[in-house]
Amino acid sequence: MADQMMAIAILLPVAAGFLVLAVRNYYVRNVIVIATAVVLIANSILLSLRGPFTYTPGGFDWGLLITVLDYAILIFYLYVGISLRNWLVLIFALTQILPLAYFEFVMKAHIEVAPAFVVDHLSLVMTMVISIIGSLICIFALRYMYDHEHHAHIEKSRQSRFLFWLVLFLGAMNGLVFANNLVWLYFFWEVTTLCSFQLISHDRTKEAIHNAARAVWMNSTGGTAFILAIIYLYATQGGSSALSMQSIIGGGIQSSIAVLPIALLCYTGFTKAAQMPFQSWLLGAMVAPTPVSALLHSSTMVKAGVYLVLRLAPVYAGTYLSTVIAIAGAFTFFATSALAVSQSTGKRVLAYSTIANLGLIIACAGINTPLSIAAAILLIIFHAISKGLLFLCAGTIEHQIWSRDIEDMEGLAAKAPLTTLITAVGILSMFLPPFGMLLGKWIALEAAYIVPLAAVFFVLASTLTIVFWTKWLGRLLQVLPKIERPFEKLSLSYSVPLWTLLTGIFVVGIGIGPIYQNFLRAATNDVVSGNQIIAVGLNNLILTTPSFMQRDILGLFPVWPLYLILIVALLMPLLLIRVKPKELRPVYMCGEQTGAIDTDEWLAEADRKTKFQLGGYYYQGTLGEKRINPWANAIAILLLVIMLGCGVIVL
Amino acid sequence: MRTMGLIQTSRVKSPWILHFDNSSCNGCDIEILACLTPLYDVERFGMVNMGNPKHADILLITGPVNRRTARVLKNLYGQVPDPKVVVCVGTCASTGGVFHNCYNVLGGVDKVIPVDVYVPGCSVRPEAIIDGVVMALQKLAKL
Amino acid sequence: MMIKQFLFVLVILVGAPVVGGLLFGIDRRITARMQGRYGPPIIQPFYDFFKLLGKEHIAVSRLQFVWIYGYLVFMIASLIFLVMKSDFLLLVFLLGFAGVCLVLGGFSTKSPYAHFGANRELMQILAYEPVLLLLAIAIYAQNGSFLISEIFKQDKPLLFTLWPLFLAVLYVLTIKMRKSPFDISTCHHGHQEIVKGVTTEYSGPYLALFHLAEWYEIILLLGIISLFWTNPLWVGILIALAAFLLELFIDNITARMTVGWMVRLSWSVGLILGIINIAYIYYTKGVS
Repeated sequence: MADQMMAIAILLPVAAGFLVLAVRNYYVRNVIVIATAVVLIANSILLSLRGPFTYTPGGFDWGLLITVLDYAILIFYLYVGISLRNWLVLIFALTQILPLAYFEFVMKAHIEVAPAFVVDHLSLVMTMVISIIGSLICIFALRYMYDHEHHAHIEKSRQSRFLFWLVLFLGAMNGLVFANNLVWLYFFWEVTTLCSFQLISHDRTKEAIHNAARAVWMNSTGGTAFILAIIYLYATQGGSSALSMQSIIGGGIQSSIAVLPIALLCYTGFTKAAQMPFQSWLLGAMVAPTPVSALLHSSTMVKAGVYLVLRLAPVYAGTYLSTVIAIAGAFTFFATSALAVSQSTGKRVLAYSTIANLGLIIACAGINTPLSIAAAILLIIFHAISKGLLFLCAGTIEHQIWSRDIEDMEGLAAKAPLTTLITAVGILSMFLPPFGMLLGKWIALEAAYIVPLAAVFFVLASTLTIVFWTKWLGRLLQVLPKIERPFEKLSLSYSVPLWTLLTGIFVVGIGIGPIYQNFLRAATNDVVSGNQIIAVGLNNLILTTPSFMQRDILGLFPVWPLYLILIVALLMPLLLIRVKPKELRPVYMCGEQTGAIDTDEWLAEADRKTKFQLGGYYYQGTLGEKRINPWANAIAILLLVIMLGCGVIVL
Repeated sequence: MRTMGLIQTSRVKSPWILHFDNSSCNGCDIEILACLTPLYDVERFGMVNMGNPKHADILLITGPVNRRTARVLKNLYGQVPDPKVVVCVGTCASTGGVFHNCYNVLGGVDKVIPVDVYVPGCSVRPEAIIDGVVMALQKLAKL
Repeated sequence: MMIKQFLFVLVILVGAPVVGGLLFGIDRRITARMQGRYGPPIIQPFYDFFKLLGKEHIAVSRLQFVWIYGYLVFMIASLIFLVMKSDFLLLVFLLGFAGVCLVLGGFSTKSPYAHFGANRELMQILAYEPVLLLLAIAIYAQNGSFLISEIFKQDKPLLFTLWPLFLAVLYVLTIKMRKSPFDISTCHHGHQEIVKGVTTEYSGPYLALFHLAEWYEIILLLGIISLFWTNPLWVGILIALAAFLLELFIDNITARMTVGWMVRLSWSVGLILGIINIAYIYYTKGVS
């Protein structure tokens, strides 16, 4: 049984990808992708019901295949670097190939790590996120790419190629979260980078290819660190347990594992999660079609980075490295939230917000108490759902107004009320009670005092998130007085993922008590033992203090009462209040409007008809990239140096 | 009946003002603003000068109406929610005053919107303005 | 026990707006006296409220009513959290949701004055929210718990160790009460720089709801200030009322300043006071 489930999780998407690549018919492709999606979702649920297990695939020298494919990918990067004259890509491909070859041939490391795959509760959480949200995004991509190519008048359809990489990626992610063998983990890591490159450069514009190359070289520095960590571990430990994630975690710093490889692996996680100073690759990746941004660059691939840092948390617990990781994550959370305020493109706001929340998750991993680890896992889940939904909304909006600029989204509530409603719920779910993201942030804040500097950064960043989300939602809502606004029609490929994710926000949010009790507590225990959250049915989430505090209860979050308040506050008025036509009045413009109630024309000097225009506030002078990037990148680099220094000086 | 009494009393006790100047010489406007100063202090009657028609009960209008301000006046009058009263302050607002023959002047405010109280004067004394508003409040109480 | 709590909450819910309205009336009266005038009667806010209830329903957009209800309900929810001595950090987040609803209400119509007002209100939130969150963390650092009930169990009042944050909270009070120099997004009674800012497009019964929410808000804020001295509570309430009078005084001696100045001032002064406070507690008490 384990054979089949693992094969479905990892190999089925690969096979489906190749099948999709071969098929040219739009409808047959859709059927293949939807069928794969359904099977993947069912499989992930069955895996979760089965519970943890270990697995080593037999019957074939998978290790050899992986090694060959590793070199293939790296040689492909060399080719990319040479053909694009991009020396950074070339250099960082070389810094991976050469150590890898050294590891392979000089150190003669032919090791069988057993078990190759370890599926524990954390992996099960990740695979459910990947399978369910990833599959929904693939379904969204079906119609999205069709409209994308039609709008851009592309004659030779490249949708097959797009869907190939998108579906293949799901398999790579599943492999990543299950892998116990570090070399295999490295392989899946590199496949995700490759998918990212192919998907970012899909449109083949100069900008897209340039940004894809930047993604490759930045992630390649992470890959280099990964290989160096592998070499160091094998050189100092030796044997097959050196490269087994479980033995590394089980050993901990107290045993003979040095801090340096852990610091290097955390550096790898930082690059994948686009933490400062590496945020520019994620920002650049926003040129790609929206399903790419939704799947790779918010819900899933970047979560691989935080997953690695989270996995390693028990190893660096109690060291200075942990504190530095917490501060670095918190600083990224703060700086990117500030930057998001100044962005006027929707997807860039979402990108900065993603990096910010990843910083929050990494900071929680660095704080390293049972409470903060639980917060990290909750944030991973809720962020994947909400941010995935928001990116899909951004894509839907883009295909209705054919623009990504927030200023063009003004008054969307009039042009596309249904999309605005879904986007509004998505935006509110990112930063307000009672939704899950706020629950995670609340737990993180309650756990953060251990590293007070991180707590201060959390506070500042939370406030900044309020500003940019509310600003954006406000622009969507600004409409002129009018009564009739019928909901627009959305294609099934758009609406099914949107509604499913929206329902998911509420279902997982309201049911967080039982979900935590039955499922997430075990996942937290996989990382750090001890439990500080008590879920009382659907009612309360009670946070208890760690054992060295005198008080019993740290904090209290009444789940369903808050949802009830939300319904009374917003849902009931939305459904019950009606406005009659005779009650409608024009907006106040000192009386200068011409004529009808829903006009935005007014008479300027000499009775000249002018439209009045509103502009959003973006505070470019104080919070723009030019102002913030120099010092923020400098501090981030300093923190990275300190982090790696903690590894070298063995603190 | 008792609730109606409560709201009616409140209407009289809390008149919020929108002060609009058509095209007056500002003499009457200055007298209106003088009412708000500590010497006359109309805030003790609950009168507050809201700059916003949607918040107002009483429109205090000065100056004669011309073609441009007629449009603006209609727009503002439409934005004031019921119940409302209109008080013309000054001779120009009542009948056009010294400007009533000008080619661009339509006349007094009642050419455009229904008026409840006329307060003549050029310019009007603050005491007369207060008297006029009180008269308007008595009308408001009956609405 | 449950019935007793429920009745207590009910009494607070009914009594808070009454006391809040009276406080606003006293505010106008004392301000008038400071300006050498007589001023309206103390129950003037209630006259305003009932008059607004009797106005015609007019609308500019349907959504603006949804947000004003959101503002009111979340404000009441925050007050209930305070009264039931629940989690203080969650209270701050609920208060934040109320503020966001108000801002979105201003944004829900394409009106220039509401647009400016909403953006300025958002800047006000940016100015005061960090101080409230730092207060939550400082309460935890001092007591070991975020629950308000734990504050009541302490012997030493919070004011002794958290006095820098108390000063910072006075800034918050000035901003939230919309008093000069921070009466920037929408002002009480007659300031017309941006017409009425956030509340420009509201009228009649919905404006009455806005005022009702403000009455709840002032009771909530004074309640938060009285947490600084809970043993006995009447001292805390006196301190809160003294702070209230101080705000009136500050209002009458300062003029309105700019948004940028407000954010810079509260981020520098408020944050520094908060950070020094928390750092001091961290280094003296440790993480215990």
